Amino acid sequence: MEIDRRTFLALAGAAAAFRPALAHAADEALFLGARLNGGAFEAAVIDASGRDRLVLPLEARGHSFAIDAPRRRAVAFARSPGRFAVAFSVDGTGEPIAFAPPPDRHFYGHGVFTPDGRLLLATENDYDGERGVTGLYDASAGFRRIGEFETGGIGPHEVILLADGKTLCVANGGILTHPDYERVKLNLATMKPSLSYVDMETGDLLEQAELAPELHKLSIRHMTLDRFGAVWFGAQYQGEDDARPPLVGRHRRGHAIELFPGPEATLKKLDNYVGSVAIDASGEIVATSSPRGGLSVFWDAETGRCLGERQLKDGCGLAPLSGHRLLGTSGRGAIVRTGPDVALESVREPQASAPAWDNHLRRI
Amino acid sequence: MQARLSRCVLILCLSSAPALAQETTSTIAPNVGSRVLEGYVTPTLARFREASGALSNALGDVCGASSDSGLVAVHQRFSEAVSAWGHVSVLRFGPLVAENRFERVFFWPDPRGVTLRQVQGLLASDEPLPQDLAAQSVALQGLPALDYVLFGTGGDKLADDARRCAYAQAVADNVADIAGALESGWAEGTAFRASFTAPAADRDPYRSSAEVAGEVVKAAGTAIEFARNAELLPALGKSVEKARGKRAPFWRSGETFAFTAAQIEGVQQLITAAGFVDGPSDLVNGYGESMNFDLAHARDALEAVAGAPEAAFGEEEDRGRISYATIAMEGAKHTLNGELAGALGLVMGFNALDGD
Repeated sequence: MEIDRRTFLALAGAAAAFRPALAHAADEALFLGARLNGGAFEAAVIDASGRDRLVLPLEARGHSFAIDAPRRRAVAFARSPGRFAVAFSVDGTGEPIAFAPPPDRHFYGHGVFTPDGRLLLATENDYDGERGVTGLYDASAGFRRIGEFETGGIGPHEVILLADGKTLCVANGGILTHPDYERVKLNLATMKPSLSYVDMETGDLLEQAELAPELHKLSIRHMTLDRFGAVWFGAQYQGEDDARPPLVGRHRRGHAIELFPGPEATLKKLDNYVGSVAIDASGEIVATSSPRGGLSVFWDAETGRCLGERQLKDGCGLAPLSGHRLLGTSGRGAIVRTGPDVALESVREPQASAPAWDNHLRRI
Repeated sequence: MQARLSRCVLILCLSSAPALAQETTSTIAPNVGSRVLEGYVTPTLARFREASGALSNALGDVCGASSDSGLVAVHQRFSEAVSAWGHVSVLRFGPLVAENRFERVFFWPDPRGVTLRQVQGLLASDEPLPQDLAAQSVALQGLPALDYVLFGTGGDKLADDARRCAYAQAVADNVADIAGALESGWAEGTAFRASFTAPAADRDPYRSSAEVAGEVVKAAGTAIEFARNAELLPALGKSVEKARGKRAPFWRSGETFAFTAAQIEGVQQLITAAGFVDGPSDLVNGYGESMNFDLAHARDALEAVAGAPEAAFGEEEDRGRISYATIAMEGAKHTLNGELAGALGLVMGFNALDGD
């Protein structure tokens, strides 16, 4: 697999930068996010105090990560419609490995490792075929691409692994794009988002959950798993500005999708856009962020009750700390501790010179 | 922050809600919504209603007349309707995104040729024409479909082909209906208009004049990007060998460049109406003028294209003109989302783009 010249140059330049800033204890909480720092795109490992522990240069804007925690490694993906991925050790040991999808695919920015660390699966666009796929990469052989599965929809975005360790859940956002037209949406009138459950060993589509026809413009994009095994998702609405459909939902296998609008004022503030979804350490509280609205909203995973909101301008990244608290990042450089039970605590103040954090923050 | 903004503006933002947060209001005309309504929306929608109505009437004269004498008038009215749509297309928020109206008038881009396939299928079928075109595929409903029906193979025999003529009439009527619906959507007494012209905390979708200004900035930016990225660049291709004029909108009628020039003119009129060129802030006005400068050059270049669209993208001199126009458009977009938005006190979110 040929890598882009820019990827090569970024990684060649990485030699100096790619090293752990501080030693750390094995059980220390570390987080991974993509960011723009002084004009340069990076993937960064930070600790709960917001200190950089590892910085990896990227050729362009990154998005999310697949994390193989037992083997202390991760893969940074390009933001859609990018075509680069870089596998690296989160401890800064060894050389990063860059790889790319085939010429007629691009990444959507999300992926997962199999529990044994053998395979990496990444959501991709088969844009000429107008279908979503998850590309399969052999993590034990330099991330060689060995095949793909259909996701049963268009525009797959986040993919997560269910608790059984063998079933994927893919959020098919439903939005058709083609790199010839940059990010222009080609099928708003006929969008059909869905959640697909895919058998990771066979690629079989096990189950698919869809929204009611009148919500066909509600693009399902990000997901997390709660303590009870249910999939929670956040959506982005592509319809009329003054329509305010629910943006947060839950799906349990074999059941219909449940949607939770929350209080009207909160829903309005979300501005038809949820940019990331995270679960707290207890698995009981779901957090959804809206960078457009500048707020995070918390939900009781058991009842779907809205537990409150916290404001953070251009805030999007969320990852679990301990208990019911989460670490949050913003496009303006802020890092905060947040949660439904605590007031927002600043870890790093926003400032123009601070790194602008991309949508997702992941706990390693 | 500048570096951050300049990175962001390279990425097409076609979202449905303002992705701009507001920091201050002093540089924004407090009546920005009313200014845009009176100075741009109302005249633009009226012109589109008149042009699409005139097209429908002209088709009425031709269909059943068994003479091609009215065809010249149809072509003229089509050209005017496309130009009027060029201005309307800039207002891609509120009523124009409701009920898929944008796509129903202008199903674009269409990289797979869905319009051609469906229109040909419908013309060749023995089934009666659908009673309610508005309930059919969006690709069958709008101006790109008419571009083929009027100017594609067999378009010159419109008067002799009852089915083709009746379908053309139905499409024109449908476009005229949508033009009427757009005016209704913006009409006095609607919640949308109230929110746009007198935004307030309890109104939806706009709660402040800054949000209205943000919507205008976003609409202008989206229009420039769409014309550039979805209409011109795919036909231009990365090299002359990859030029394909048939990927441009309205290539059959030859309206491609007049249409994109009309869209650019629409953006100029919109930002002027919003007070970004002669509004309360000299700083904003300076950036608005800079945008106007780039956009005027882009229009001039497109209007100077000599060849028919089908060939022009692949001919050196015209190719240079089109290419220059796309560069000037990118410059205008850059000024808009960077300096101008900044001077208005609007900060583009790093994380607010659709699809992430």
